[in-house]
Formats: sequence, structure tokens, C-alpha cells
Amino acid sequence: MTTDLALDLHDVQKTYSGGVQALRGVAMQVRRGEIFGLLGPNGAGKSTLVKILMTVISATHAKGTILGEPLGRKSTLARVGYLPEHHRFPEYLTGRQVVEFFGALANVPRKQRKQRAGELLEFVGMSRWAETRVRQYSKGMRQRVGIAQALVNAPQLVLLDEPTDGVDPVGRRDIREMVHRLKEAGTSVVLNSHLLSELEMVCERVAILVKGKVAAQGTLDELTVGRQRYDVEVDAASAAEGVLAAIAAQTPGTTLAGATFTFGAADPAPVQPLVDRLRAAGIVIRAVKPIRPSLEDLFMQAVTDPTSGKVLTPGAAEANEKESRK
Amino acid sequence: MIQTWALLLDAYRELNAKRLFWFVLVLTALVVLSFACVGLNERGVQVLVWTFDSTVINSTLIPASMFYKLMFDALGIKFWLTWAATILALVSTAAIIPDFIASGAIELTLSKPIGRLRLLYTKFLMGMLFVGLQVSVFTVACFFILGIRGGSWEPSIFLAIPIVLLFFSYLFSVCVLAGLVTRSTIASLLLTLLAWVFFWACGTADQITLMGLQENGQRIKLLETRIRRQENNTRKMIREQATKEGNEPPRVEDITPTMLDERNPALVATRTELSDIRKSRETWETSQRIVLAIKAFVPKTSETVDLLNRVLVTTTDLQNRVNEASESEEASDEVEEQPRQRRRRGGPFADTDANELQLEMRKRSLWWVLGTSLAFEGAVLGLAGIIFVRRDF
Repeated sequence: MTTDLALDLHDVQKTYSGGVQALRGVAMQVRRGEIFGLLGPNGAGKSTLVKILMTVISATHAKGTILGEPLGRKSTLARVGYLPEHHRFPEYLTGRQVVEFFGALANVPRKQRKQRAGELLEFVGMSRWAETRVRQYSKGMRQRVGIAQALVNAPQLVLLDEPTDGVDPVGRRDIREMVHRLKEAGTSVVLNSHLLSELEMVCERVAILVKGKVAAQGTLDELTVGRQRYDVEVDAASAAEGVLAAIAAQTPGTTLAGATFTFGAADPAPVQPLVDRLRAAGIVIRAVKPIRPSLEDLFMQAVTDPTSGKVLTPGAAEANEKESRK
Repeated sequence: MIQTWALLLDAYRELNAKRLFWFVLVLTALVVLSFACVGLNERGVQVLVWTFDSTVINSTLIPASMFYKLMFDALGIKFWLTWAATILALVSTAAIIPDFIASGAIELTLSKPIGRLRLLYTKFLMGMLFVGLQVSVFTVACFFILGIRGGSWEPSIFLAIPIVLLFFSYLFSVCVLAGLVTRSTIASLLLTLLAWVFFWACGTADQITLMGLQENGQRIKLLETRIRRQENNTRKMIREQATKEGNEPPRVEDITPTMLDERNPALVATRTELSDIRKSRETWETSQRIVLAIKAFVPKTSETVDLLNRVLVTTTDLQNRVNEASESEEASDEVEEQPRQRRRRGGPFADTDANELQLEMRKRSLWWVLGTSLAFEGAVLGLAGIIFVRRDF
């Protein structure tokens, strides 16, 4: 079955014994060849969702497909790569053996996995330590080998759970580059991370999971529609008293705060008359900046209760909580 | 197949990385070496260059091949492989399942296109591989010792490999289930040892009740013989007394039991003793039935190991030994008054008693020994499989 969606999920639910509702009807789509970010506070259900996709956990209810195949089908996993959070490789294996072993479990033929292991260890910058045992690896090295094992079966979809966890800045940059190269090769990548700045740098689309539900989903542009603006900063000293307020009053859609004019639009065209007026008045313009809310802003907005303005407590929803919300 | 080979290769690598595996292997080598150091000559037992004179154990009474076979069975199998090496093997393998299902490790394997049951049972086989390698090395070495030192090339000793593996598999299945439920190496090890003690206790209770029944049966036979002899003697006395008194001696068939009892109070005591022993037999039989009913549901660890003895020492040999002992007892004057003491010189489980017990145990079919044990193992592994398949990790 072919589809342009690598992941197409509808109404994925998971209630653990004890009534903890980790997922409460997740609907999410990941396109083929895109880098998708999955974010949310602790206990939002991100790892649970990924584990359901990888058949590590069974869903209470789930509809959807993964690479065009129904969820939960083991054979599909031969085309999926996965790096779990806090993974533990057998300590007695070398980096190469780890990649080859998990390649064999993914049913990759011997000759192919030997070749892939070499290439991938090179790809993740671990070829020098390929014959060193995992027990001697640092956290960052383990992450790199983890990524290599996730790619050994040349997957069409890769799920990376906190791939930069414990990795130094250089390593993070390397991992970002790897993710970009995977995208260039046509692989869909789902990144599950707390590091919003990391996700913002690489992801084309994101989904924010809050208390087991998708609170927001789309490209950053889509998610920030209506919240983008232009800020024009001027040198207040170069303007006579009251001139800035007068210019603001003459320019529709503009607000003035201190020495900064703000336009509530993503379109730069309405900003031009303001610039003309400022320059005509001989006012020094310091900067004209398009302002787009960051992923962190979106995230904070998603996890903030709109009525109380309080940040929601971390954790999954309890069954009674769900009932009370109905 | 790629996946199964990968898992088995990984199992080998894991074993290879375990120091305890090599430690046990070195200990096994030492046991084999000490086994090879012991020999038998006309004077007695020879250890390296020293000879310990013995009138009971020497090559004129016991053929060297039989000596080595018995030593292999009693020390090599029953002591080393099924006790010492098994405890070490359990210590080494108890971590297999808890490590396998540990957070961070299980996700990596479960996320591959391989069935959960296959994963679990391959891990089970991994534990078996540990013992399989140990027992194979031991048995091959013993085969050569038996051939070179004992002059008997006995391929049947290779049966020790499947038999010890079977024995270990009963325990390891419990270890797998306990490891899966508790997720703890220590807890699974302790629970397995506890289960082992229970299986052993069931086996021992079975042997005790069986010995009790045997003893009881022999006592009954003995008392019946004594009563017959006492009756004959008393009849003789009655007839002799009548003759002495000048009367016509009564015909034997005219002498009633009451007359005998009146004439000989010892006969009454013997009859009372026989009646008491017959009553106690009922208790033994009830106990044996209860023990067997419990045993039907648990693995027969000792009896499984004894299967090797069935091959090494044939039932005919065993029967001959028992018959020889019985004949010598019958010829002895001590038999009647000291019925068991002489036979028990080597302790309650030695000599004829032990042989008779073995003969009785051998009457139990292979199906009883292996079938019910494997049914237990299958049930335990089945339960482990259900838990593993259904669990969220």
C-alpha cells in the first residue's frame, strides 16, 4: 500500500492499568521525507506514543497506518528505525557488533549489514571506535551508535527518542546534520525531544502533545499564523517629543511601546509607510525585525491553561480527570 | 533464521563475556582431572601414586569399568552436574531475563520485526546453552577417562547431556517465569532455589514413603514367616507333650489357632505385632498416595537424573545384586532376629535398601518421569509466554 504519509494516526488511546490515561485520542500525520518534531511536557505521552508505534506497548485503541500498513504489524518494523530513550546496549558488544546484531534482528542479510555497519559507523563518526566495547563508550558515543543501529535496515521512517540526550554541542550539531542527510535521502524522521531549540532548527512540522492529546500540529508558520509581527526599533533621542506618538497615530495597525513600533502582521508591506514617515521625520531607525513566536512560545502557550493562565502540571491524565473535563 | 542465528550468536557472546561461565568451566575441568586421578587396583583405590588398601573396593571385586561408571554417575552427575554446577549455572543465568526486559534494552529488541515468543524462548535456550556447553565438555572428558582408565568405551554416557539439560530446564523455566514477574535477578534466583528445594522435598518424601512401604512389607513377610515357624513349633510341642503324657497326639489339622495361642504366648505377641504393622502399612500407603499426587504436578528432578543410572546400570544387574544380597541374608542366622541391621551397615540409603529402592523407582515409566516434568515445564513456560506477550514495556 502506498501513501504519501509515513504516519497516519487517528484516535490512538492508551490507558494503563490503574486508570492512568497516557494517550487520549491522538491524531497525527507525518509526511514521507519530512522531519517531524514531537514535543510535550513530561508525562504528555510522547514516549508512550512512540512505543505503541514500535509495538513495545499495546494501544487500548488505535486506528491508523505506519508506512501504509496497519499499526501493530511486526513486518512493517523491518522498514522502521528506532532509537529509544535511555537505551541500553549489551555491554559486551563492540559498536560494530551492536549495529550488526540489531541489523540481523531487523532481518538485514549478512553481507548487507556488514557493509551498512561500516558505512553507518562512518556516518555517525564512530568508525575509529567501532571495535571498542560499548562499556567503554561515553553517553554521546552510545547515542551515535544508537543512531547507527536505528539506520542499519535503511528505514523509510526513523523514530528518534531524545537523540541529543547527553550529547555535547558538537555532537548535537552532528546529529542535526545526520537528520538533514536522512531527509535528503528521502527518510521520514520523527524527533522526540525536550530541546525545543534543537527541534526548531531541524523540524519542518511539529506536534505538541499535552496530557495525552495533540494540542497543536503543523508547520511553524501554520502554528504562528496571526501571531507574527514586525518590530521597528528607533533611536528615541533622534526624535522630538511627541513625534513618535504622532507617527504611530498616523499609521494604522501600529502600536508604540517605548522606542519600538509593532505591526501585528506577517506581511512586510504595511511596514513601508511607517519607515517612510520615520525617515521623513529624520528619525534614526535601529532595526526592522520580523518577529515570529518561537517553538518555546508555542509550547508554553500549549501547556498553559487559557482560563487560569497557569502552566499545566506535568503528567498524564487520570481517568477521573477526563471525566471531569467532559 | 537470520534473527535466530543472531540471537544465538549474541547468547554465545554474552556467555563468553561472563566470568562465571569460565570459572565454572575451569571448575569442571578440575573435577574431571580429579576424576582421572582416581583409579582401582587389586589392593584398593589408587589416587595418583598412592594406594588406599581396601577389601571392599578393589579391582578383584569391582571391575574398573563399573567403578568409573558408578563414580561418573554418583559424583560426576549426581553431585557435580546436578548440584554444584547447577547452582553456579543458575547464578550465572538468573540475570538473563531481568537484563533482557530491563528498560532501555527491551525496547531495542521488541521494536524489531521478530515475535515476542521467539525472543523469549530463544533467551530460554540461551540459558540452556550455558549448561549444554558445561555438561558437554564434562561428558566428553569423562568418556575418554572411562575409556582410557576404565577400559570401557561407553557411548551411553553421552545421555548425560540431554538428561542434565532436561533437569536444568525444569529449574530454568521457573527462573524465567520468576525473572519475568519480579524483574529482579536476586528474586528470581531465590524463587528458583526455593522451587528446587520443594521439588527435592517432594522427591525425598516419595523415597521415604517408598522405603517405609518396603520396610513395612519386609517386616510383614518376616513376621508371617515367624508366625508360621512358631505355629509349627507349637504344634510340635503340643503333639510331643501329648505323646509324653501317653495320649494320642492330635492331628495337625485338629490343632486350632486358639490352642496354639494358649500354648505359646509369644505367638500372640507376634500376631499383635503383625496386626499393628499391617495397620501402619495403611498409613504409609496413604502418605505415598498423597506424595505421588503432589509429585504428579511437579518436575521429577532426582528421577530425571536417575535415568542415566538406568542406562549405566541395567535393571538385570541391579536385580542380581539384590538377589545375591537376599540369598546371603537368608543363609545367615542373624536374619530373623536382626532383620535389617546387617543390611544397613552403610546407612539407611545404602547397599541393598538403596538397590531395592532403585528397582522400585525404575518401575515408574519414562512417561511418568519425563512426561509430567515436561508438562510442568511447558505450563510454566507457557505462562511466561502469555505474560511476556501481553506486557507493556
